[in-house]
Order: sequence, then structure tokens, then C-alpha cells
Amino acid sequence: MSGPDAMHGEMPGFFPGRPGGGDHDEPLLDMMLDRRPLPPGAPPEMHVLARTLVAAAGPADARELAGEAVAMAAFRRLASPDGVSPAALRPARRWLPRRPARGRLPLAAVLVTAAAGLGSIAAAYVGVLPGPIQEMAHVTVGAPPSRNSLPRTHAPTGPPRSSPRPAGPSGHRQASSAPAPSQAGHQGPHHGVAGPSPGRAIPTCTPEPVPTRNPVKPGPAPYPTPGQSSWTPRPSPTGGCPVIVPQTPDPHPGH
Amino acid sequence: MIGAAFGDTLAKAQAGDEAAFACIFRDVQPALLRYLRMIAPDPEDVAGDTWVQVVAGLKGFRGEEQAFRAWLFTIARHRAADAGRSRTRRPAVPLETSEAAELLTSPDTADLALEAVSSRAAVSLIATLPREQAEIIMLRVVAGLDNADVARIVRKSPGAVRVAAHRGLRRLAGLAERTGVTQ
Repeated sequence: MSGPDAMHGEMPGFFPGRPGGGDHDEPLLDMMLDRRPLPPGAPPEMHVLARTLVAAAGPADARELAGEAVAMAAFRRLASPDGVSPAALRPARRWLPRRPARGRLPLAAVLVTAAAGLGSIAAAYVGVLPGPIQEMAHVTVGAPPSRNSLPRTHAPTGPPRSSPRPAGPSGHRQASSAPAPSQAGHQGPHHGVAGPSPGRAIPTCTPEPVPTRNPVKPGPAPYPTPGQSSWTPRPSPTGGCPVIVPQTPDPHPGH
Repeated sequence: MIGAAFGDTLAKAQAGDEAAFACIFRDVQPALLRYLRMIAPDPEDVAGDTWVQVVAGLKGFRGEEQAFRAWLFTIARHRAADAGRSRTRRPAVPLETSEAAELLTSPDTADLALEAVSSRAAVSLIATLPREQAEIIMLRVVAGLDNADVARIVRKSPGAVRVAAHRGLRRLAGLAERTGVTQ
């Protein structure tokens, strides 16, 4: 620190007006830092500096104590004897709305799922679901079958088809090798099981519908559409699974 | 400094005695504010944050008056650093003109000579020092901490703290003589 840019006061032991003072001032500086009184023989500059430091540590004025009210309020809130001051809980209460939100999520999911399930069941009983889903609802909850699988009200006999009808909207694809024209009109009511020939019953794995839940009338189907043949579940000769008895061939394989 | 009665006063404050806490506050707050004027842009706000944290940890504090002051000023330094970072992240907020800034921009600091010797004038004069020197001098002289405590607070070696304090005092002596603050 001896260069030309060194501050005059930063040079060790070098007080203004006393060039070359050396390090003899350090004990005096330490005394000032420790707020001890200087000896009477100290340089005047030291006394000036000491008075400045004493003034810096002087008594407080009113402005400096203006924050006492805030500190006391914090003390009352946080340092009450029981530690459970209602005011102290205010910051925590701000977080309360967030905590139950974590528990509401499963409840909301359950409610949404229940609403969707009930809505689906209602739609299934109304019969507005897509074919495959309606069939599934028909099998599981006893809803009316899909319109594609309803018995046809008009079952005129006609010439055999040259080719089987492609898979319908229900997604049940009839076997392309099905030769009998009567099979064409029976696609899809029970998982694509087609009757090989008129009058021949095909056992399925579908449980026998309960009459009370899935009333199947022998007459016209609830949603008869042209081109669909009617069918009636009959008891299987071997027992157990119901059988599908095709009654009339499909005169309009394209529909 | 409260002195020998500090232990009882602290115990009462820890038990919830408002008068005891007010005694501690009035004893420390002036030094705290003067110290924060050296290092914080908003000394009053930082002092408030400091006291909130002090109150929150008051029951768990164990120690003498010197240790309590060292703990409090350590908190204050941390809060000042937080305030400085927060202000840096929001540069659109205009900086307030502090007394130290006025001194630094004043063409002639000898105007201080016209004032009576007061704490405010002395603190303003110390604020003209480099920040590190001013902070150390305030912790040593105004806060009343020893060299080891100040070294822990400013995270420097005791030797470095002593050297910085001496340099600051020598520079301050030159400023005081030029401005005639104490004459």
C-alpha cells in the first residue's frame, strides 16, 4: 500500500499530519474498537476519531425506535406464553385450503367414474350406444341389444346370397366361408356366432339371459329394423348355454 | 448494553414478558439500524424482518448478551443479503437516496462540519468508507462485538477483520479531520 493510489488514511500507522508514524497507532486503534477510553497522551487525531466512534454508538433517537410497535406485534403473535395464540396461526391458515385439495382428488375421481358409469348404463338402456358397446351392455347389464342384432321383422325368403355381408358396424365379422344365406342375417347378436344352417342351434358361451332383466319377446324386437331377422334364445339341447335359432334368412345382405 | 441483568431480561422475554422484550429491543435496535444502513438498501424493512426471526427463535436461544447480539446481527446480515438479492431481481424499483449516497455524491462533505456531533452524522461519515470496512467498524464499535464474533459474521479470519478495521479507522480519521465532524 505504498503506491501513488494508496489512500492516505490506509497507510499503516500513518495518520494525517504525522507522516512516518509507523505501527504504533494499532494499540490505540484496538482500544477504540473495543470502546475503551484513550490515554491522555494519545494524538489529537485519535481523540477526534474516538469521539466520532462514540457518537456513532450514541443513544437512540425516536426515529430509530419507530419499529418497536411492529416488533412487539410480532412478539405477541409468535412468543405468547402458550405458543398457540390465534394470531400466530394466521400464516398457517393461509395454507389450509391447499391441504384438503389432496384428499379431494380421489373423491372427485370416484364421483366422475360413478357418474360416467351411471350415464353409460342409462344410455345402454335407452339404446343409443354404439353397436359393440351396446352389445356389451346387453350382455353385462341386460340392456336392450344392439339394433344390428335385433330380430328382423320382415323375414322374407329369398335366393341365397352369393357372398356374405361384410362386417357391420358392430364389428362382428362373419366368417367368409359361411355358405348358407341364412347366416348372413344373424351376424353379431352373440359375439359373431353365426348359425351354420337354418334350424341348427349353435351353443354359445353367453349366459342365458334372465327373463326379468332382458326380456326377449318372441314377437317383434324392441327396435326392429328392416333387413334384420328375429331370433329367439332357446334352451340348448345339451343344457346350459342358450342357443340361437335363426328363423328367417336375411333377404338384404347389404343392410 | 444491558449488562448483568441481561440473563434475567432474556428469561422473562422468553417467557412472554413484553416489557422484557421491549427492553432488549430498545437496547439493540439503534445499533441494528445503524449497522443495516451500511449494508441494506432498506434498513427499516430488514430490521423488521430480523426481529420477526429473532422473536421466532427467541425461546430456543441460550447464551449471554454477547452471544445474543452476535446471533441477532448474523440474522440481520442474512436478511440484508436476501433483501439485496430481491432488489437485484427487481431492478425496476428505483433506489432510494440514502444519506450515504448523498454524502458520496456531495461535492464537499465538509457540510457535515456545520452539524453538531451526532450519531447520525457519525454514522453517515462511516458510511462513506468502503462497505467492508464500514461494516466491520459498525459491528465492532456500534454493535459491541469482539473481533472473533465479527470474523464469524462476515466470514473472514480475525486477522483480516482487524486489518480491515484498522484501515477503515485510519481512513475515517482523515475524513473526520477534513470534515470537522467532531470539532
